[in-house]
Amino acid sequence: MESKVVELEAIGEIVRDGDSVALGGAWLCNHPMAAVRELIRAGRRDLHLLSLIGSADVDLLLAAGAVGRLTFSMVTLEAFGLAPNLRRGAESGSLELEELTGLSMEAGLDAAGRNIGFMAYPGLGSPPTSDLVKLNPEVYGFVTDPFTGEQELVVKAIRPRIAIVHAWRADRLGNAQFDGTFGIDDDLAKAAEIVVVTCEEIVDTEVIAADPHHTKIAGFLVDHVIEAPFGAHPTSHVPCYTFDAPELLDYATVTTAGGEEQERYVTRLAAESEREYRDRVIGSRGPVLAELARQARVLEVAR
Amino acid sequence: MSDQETTVSTSDQEIAELMVCRIASEMDESGVTVLGSFTPLAYASYMLAKLTHAPDAYMVGYNAMGMPAVELAFMGAEAAAYRGSTARWGFIDNVNVVHLANRGNVEAVSSAQIDQDASINLSVIGDWNRPKVRLPGGVGAPEVVQNYRTMLAYFGRHDPRILTEKVDFATGGRYPISAEARRARGLQDGPVKIITPIAVLIKTDDGVPFAIESVHGGASVDDVIAATGFELRVPDDVPATTEPTEEQRRLIRERIDPFGTIRFDFMTGAERAGYLREIIDREWSRAESALADAGRVRG
Repeated sequence: MESKVVELEAIGEIVRDGDSVALGGAWLCNHPMAAVRELIRAGRRDLHLLSLIGSADVDLLLAAGAVGRLTFSMVTLEAFGLAPNLRRGAESGSLELEELTGLSMEAGLDAAGRNIGFMAYPGLGSPPTSDLVKLNPEVYGFVTDPFTGEQELVVKAIRPRIAIVHAWRADRLGNAQFDGTFGIDDDLAKAAEIVVVTCEEIVDTEVIAADPHHTKIAGFLVDHVIEAPFGAHPTSHVPCYTFDAPELLDYATVTTAGGEEQERYVTRLAAESEREYRDRVIGSRGPVLAELARQARVLEVAR
Repeated sequence: MSDQETTVSTSDQEIAELMVCRIASEMDESGVTVLGSFTPLAYASYMLAKLTHAPDAYMVGYNAMGMPAVELAFMGAEAAAYRGSTARWGFIDNVNVVHLANRGNVEAVSSAQIDQDASINLSVIGDWNRPKVRLPGGVGAPEVVQNYRTMLAYFGRHDPRILTEKVDFATGGRYPISAEARRARGLQDGPVKIITPIAVLIKTDDGVPFAIESVHGGASVDDVIAATGFELRVPDDVPATTEPTEEQRRLIRERIDPFGTIRFDFMTGAERAGYLREIIDREWSRAESALADAGRVRG
C-alpha cells in the first residue's frame, strides 16, 4: 500500500469550504491545533465544526471567520474564561449553533461508526431532563422499545465528512498511538468518512508493533498521516508537553478584546508557516513545557 | 447556630477548604469518581478522599482510568493523572459504563444556575436563541446529575440569581428525586446536595423544597434564606457544617493544592486574570529551576 503520509499543507486541499469537520481533543488537551492553523492559512470558510469539548481550537477558527455552523456539547477556555468568539457569535446571533448533551453527541458518533441510523440514549430519564432535547428535534427522537413498550429517547447518527485528530506517533499506514488524553479521537476516526491523523512523530511500523497497546486508532480507518511536532500547541499533548498557559492567557486577552487586536493575531498566524509559528511562539520554551509534564507529582497514599 | 460562632470572618481559603472536605466526605470506595470539566475545588475533594478515608476509590480523569491522587498543579495535573493510572479508555467506553450504567458515585458539578427542581444551567443566560451570555455548554453534566448516586452541585457564590426559582435554560436536571421513584426506574437513589460558601442544602423528594442541612462561614439561617432565590425548608435544628481538621487543611495546602487553584471558584473574571498569572509564574519557575538543576548535574 502507498504511504498515507502527506505534508501539513495538504490540509487545505483535503478540507473544502463548507465541509463538516470534527476536531479531536478535549478541554485544553490535545486539540489538532497545527491542522487548525493550517485551515486558517488555507482560508477555509463556512465549515461545519463538530466538537465534543472544544477550547482554543474552535474559538480560533471562529476568530478567523472559518466557521458557518457549530455542533458542540461544550466550548470553553476553562480557567481562562468563556470562549470569547463563541460568545460573540451566539450573542449576536451570527453563528448557527447546534448544542447537544455530551453523551448524546457521543452516542450519535458511535452510531455512525457502526453504520446504524440511530442509537438508544437513555441518559436523561423520562421525561428528558434537558431542554436540549426539545431544542433539537432533528437530532433527538423517540422510539417504542419493542421489549418493554416504553418510550425511549434516541439520537440520530452523527457522521462528519472529516475528522482531524492529533496523535503521539503514527506509522505511514495510520496506526496511531496515544499515551495521554485522546478524548473521543478513536471514535471520531470510526465515525468520519475521511480521517486525518496529525502526530508528534511518524515512526516505523516496527516501533508501533513493539508497543501495540498504545494504538488507539487502527490504520485501516485512516486516510492521511501528517507529522506535526507540537501539533497540539498551545493545548497539551501528554506525555510530551502541557498546555502553554502563558500563551493561552495571551490568547484569551487578545480574543476578549476582539476587533483589530484579534484581527492582527489571526493575520499573523495565517501569514507564517507552521515552522515559523513554532519558532516564534514556542522557541526555547519547548523544554519547559516538556518539564511541566514531567514534574507534577503523584501523591503517595498512606495505607 | 449562636451569635458568638458567627462573629469570626472566615477567609476564602478557609471556606474553600471546608467545602473541599464536605464534598470529600461524599466519596467512598464504591462506584467511580470522575473528574469533570474545570472544577478545581471538586478535584481537590477527590484527592483528599484518596489521601484519607477512601484510598482505593476508583477515580477517572481525562482518559486515565484508575488514576492516582495527584498534585493539582495548574498545568501539570493532567500529565500526572496518567502516571500511575491503570488503563486508558476512550470517553465513549468510559461514560457508557459509568454514567449510564449506575456506576457513577461522585462528580460534583458547578453551573451558572440551579433551581428548586434541581435543574442546572450551563448553556445560556437569557434566551437560548439570542442569549445575554453564552455559557460553555454542559458536556456530561446532564447525564451525571441525572444518574449518579448523589447529585452534588457546588457554587463559589451563594446568590439568589444563581440559586434561582427557575433556571433560564435546563441543560440538565434530576428526575425523579424521591428514592422510591428512582429505585422503581432502576436508578441509584441518592438525594441532591448543594454546597455553597455559606451552607449545604439537601433535597430528598420531588415536590418538597430544598432543606438547609448545615451552615458555615459565619452565616446564619436567615443569611442563607436571604441569599437563596427559592423556598427553603428550615429544620428546627440547623447544625454547623463540620470544620476541617488541621490534618485535612495541611494536606490541601501542602500536598494537594500548593498553587492555590481551589480559590479560582471564588473569583470573578477580572480577579482571576491576575491570580492566574501568579500561579502560572510559580509553576513555570519550578520547571525552569528543575531544568537548570538537571543541566548542572549533566554539566
